[in-house]
Amino acid sequence: MIVADHLRKTFPGKGRKDPPVIAVDDVGFEARDGEITGLLGPNGAGKTTTLRMLYTLMRPEAGRVLVDGVDVAADPEAARRALGVLPDARGVYKRLSARENIAYFGELHGLSRAQVEERTRILSAALQMDDFLDRRTEGFSQGQRTKTAIARALVHDPKNVILDEPTNGLDVMTTRGLREFLRQLRAEGRCVIFSSHIMQEVAALCDRIVVIAHGRVVAQGTPQQLRAQAGEDNLEDAFVRLIGSEEGLLA
Amino acid sequence: MNATTSKPSNGIGNLWTVLRKELRDFTRDRRTLALTLLIGPLFYPVLLFGIGKLTALRAQTQLEKPLEIYMAGAEGAPNLVAWLAGQGIRAKADAGDAKTLEARIDAAIRNQSEDVALVIGADYADDWRAGRPARVTVVADSTSRNADLMVARVKATLGAYGQQVGALRLLARGIDPSITRAVGVEDRDLATPEAKRGLLLSVLLPLIMMIFAFLGGAAITLDATAGERERQSLEPLLATPAPRWAIVSGKMLAAGALGVLGLVLTLLSFKFAATVASGSLGALDVSVPAILKLLLVLLPLVLLGTALLTFLAAGAKSLKEAQSHMTLLMFLPMLPAYALMAYPLKAQALWQYAVPFLAQNQLLVKITRGEAATPAQWGVYLVCAFGLALLLWLGAVWRYRQEKLAISA
Repeated sequence: MIVADHLRKTFPGKGRKDPPVIAVDDVGFEARDGEITGLLGPNGAGKTTTLRMLYTLMRPEAGRVLVDGVDVAADPEAARRALGVLPDARGVYKRLSARENIAYFGELHGLSRAQVEERTRILSAALQMDDFLDRRTEGFSQGQRTKTAIARALVHDPKNVILDEPTNGLDVMTTRGLREFLRQLRAEGRCVIFSSHIMQEVAALCDRIVVIAHGRVVAQGTPQQLRAQAGEDNLEDAFVRLIGSEEGLLA
Repeated sequence: MNATTSKPSNGIGNLWTVLRKELRDFTRDRRTLALTLLIGPLFYPVLLFGIGKLTALRAQTQLEKPLEIYMAGAEGAPNLVAWLAGQGIRAKADAGDAKTLEARIDAAIRNQSEDVALVIGADYADDWRAGRPARVTVVADSTSRNADLMVARVKATLGAYGQQVGALRLLARGIDPSITRAVGVEDRDLATPEAKRGLLLSVLLPLIMMIFAFLGGAAITLDATAGERERQSLEPLLATPAPRWAIVSGKMLAAGALGVLGLVLTLLSFKFAATVASGSLGALDVSVPAILKLLLVLLPLVLLGTALLTFLAAGAKSLKEAQSHMTLLMFLPMLPAYALMAYPLKAQALWQYAVPFLAQNQLLVKITRGEAATPAQWGVYLVCAFGLALLLWLGAVWRYRQEKLAISA
């Protein structure tokens, strides 16, 4: 369970005199266990910054984040232990094999060797990465790299999962597989948050949707609620109306 | 489902994990590894043998080989010319009269096609007969290092001739030539033969050792921070529960370990080269205690180098920016060496052992000359060097705690 409460984040402007850029302003939502929550918004809407505040990489200027009821500012380390994170940056170590990449993060989480092996086996089966598990990641395809990065992020069996644009750059088949994997995480009772700028994807997967534009939450709720709120039967039209433009929403 | 299996973090354990991973990652990059570890050890013997050989060669050719130089006005001083020829300094066959030859000599020295030449004054014969100092001018370019030895040889030969003839003249007048020597000046050089022979090495060796110690692990240090961020794997790493100080320390220790390994290899090859080499190199103290002392002097430099580079790399926007510090850093160890060339310091005052690079320079010279530093000097040195390394380490940890570190451009 992850709660974002009135989050705000600004960055200094380019020059000294430029006003600060408001990246995220008063963003709040609740992501429940056993549900997939989607952050939908065009490029540059503030999705990545919001997620970075959730996984404690950035400190919010105002507001707070609760992970399983604990304020992350008070105990960021506990929050990171309870979170599995696939950041926007998902580089893998190219001179290590996929298995070694996963084991490295497992060790950093304090897992024993046996636990790492067990989790690697489970994740490799779920993500269909047995074929390339013991190969060095140099020369991996985008999909293979993403799978490695996801397995690495979930090696410690976290209750909460945050994925920043997980399907970016993946082909149709890999995307389908990944969606299936996210549904599986939901079925296991985890709290899953993922961001996307692709409306169809969010519509197909999410129990709850948070629509972000220009650093603010413009709407949130179940797909039905959003359709009702916008007064449109078609979800796509509903989004366009909510965001106020068609910019960036169409993949 | 169960709660997470992630355990409360254990900083030292995380540090080891990062250290082992960085070493494994880096050792799989064979070419960079070989360059990092082997340049020092291979460079040393080549340098030591090469410079020793060249110095010996130069002294030999320039001191013993017959020297042929231009002598303008040679016809006025046949005895002098004959005597010089007897000492292996011959007149070059020349054409034209004294005046044009003098002009040719000036031109030749200026464009460095000739190193040294003599101009024997037109009044030489008259002055000689009258017993006045007969003028002989040695023409040379004092900024041309190449000419040093030859000029010194010509001057010494001329001086010997002058003294000999002067003594004969006094004898002919019934005077003991030694009466002209009111003060008998003699040299008593207390430099140990070892120190004397290590003169060149006293400048060069500490410098090279310092550069290797300071920047030997630079590749892995910069790569582990700036490179990792550029490859987009730093953000996921920082999102793990491992404390930042453990991550940065693990990376630094991995780089430091490789730096020390390279250093040990370099010192071993130094020992080998100095043992095998003859001449001035043979004089260097390469006993096991001396090598261990060298290692102790250089160890803080390895830490200083990795801490400073990590600090810089964590603040740089890109790997390229981080690497652009390297040129400047290469000069840092050279500064004291150059300063000492211009203004030699007695290696006694304690403050010198508090100044980075100067301290190492003084200690390395002492050790290779077989001298002992006092415990106070060692104390000041170790406290200051490790203290500075600690400060830089804290700086690097501070930079790793900054929010902007993880965010790649």
